[in-house]
Amino acid sequence: MYVDNMTDATDLAERAGDGDPRVGLRAVAALRRLLERLETVQVRNARRQGWSWQEIATELGDSRQAVHKKYGRQ
Amino acid sequence: MFERFKQDARDVVKGAVAQAERAGAQSVGTEHLLLALLDSEGSRASFALSALGLAERREPVRAALEQARRRGGLTQAETDALAGLGIDVPEVVARVEEAHGAGALSRSGKGGVRWPGHRPFEQEAKDVLTGAMRAATARRDRHIGDEHILLALTVRPGVPAEVLADHGVTYESVTRVLYGNGGQAKAG
Repeated sequence: MYVDNMTDATDLAERAGDGDPRVGLRAVAALRRLLERLETVQVRNARRQGWSWQEIATELGDSRQAVHKKYGRQ
Repeated sequence: MFERFKQDARDVVKGAVAQAERAGAQSVGTEHLLLALLDSEGSRASFALSALGLAERREPVRAALEQARRRGGLTQAETDALAGLGIDVPEVVARVEEAHGAGALSRSGKGGVRWPGHRPFEQEAKDVLTGAMRAATARRDRHIGDEHILLALTVRPGVPAEVLADHGVTYESVTRVLYGNGGQAKAG
């Protein structure tokens, strides 16, 4: 029984890597949400420290317009 | 939209705005609707929550919501999914808070200027209110009560549904205590 459970856990871990699309897609969606929050924190911090939209965009690899549209007026 | 809302449902909507205000949030989210429901008294939702034992467990529910807020609104399921990728969300939260202050990840990315007194409902919260109308329709109730808001919260994937389910509050259990076993027709 114990061995079976361990096998299940290993299977699940392997599926998370490349097999089961559902597990993989959920992880990606969660990562996207986390990424959005992290980006918000970092952009705000940069603005507080006087960075221009262009400087922030360069570091993020985005266009100045895209970054300003997303975070402007804050 | 609100013509069919009964007083207790309107109170929850107003209560959610007050909860968002108290929390310093720029917008009203689904968690604020749940917090407002926890405070409701003498209504069908409060009856259902009491019957399911939630009245005595308000604090753990509030604590779980607060924890999810600090995780940037990620559910435990999402946190586990990220752990599967080797990403330790609590560790990420701890490091970001260390550098940028407690609750840094919890702030909404949008919002712009903070208008005092004006807090828009987030899309998810609007969806819950629409879901409440659907839940009422599914049960052939002409009016929308706070129990329909509760039902809508239980079926919408997200932090409130997860926290409620952890405490035994699901669409099925709420319909059971409110309507007996005739509680089929699921709507969200």
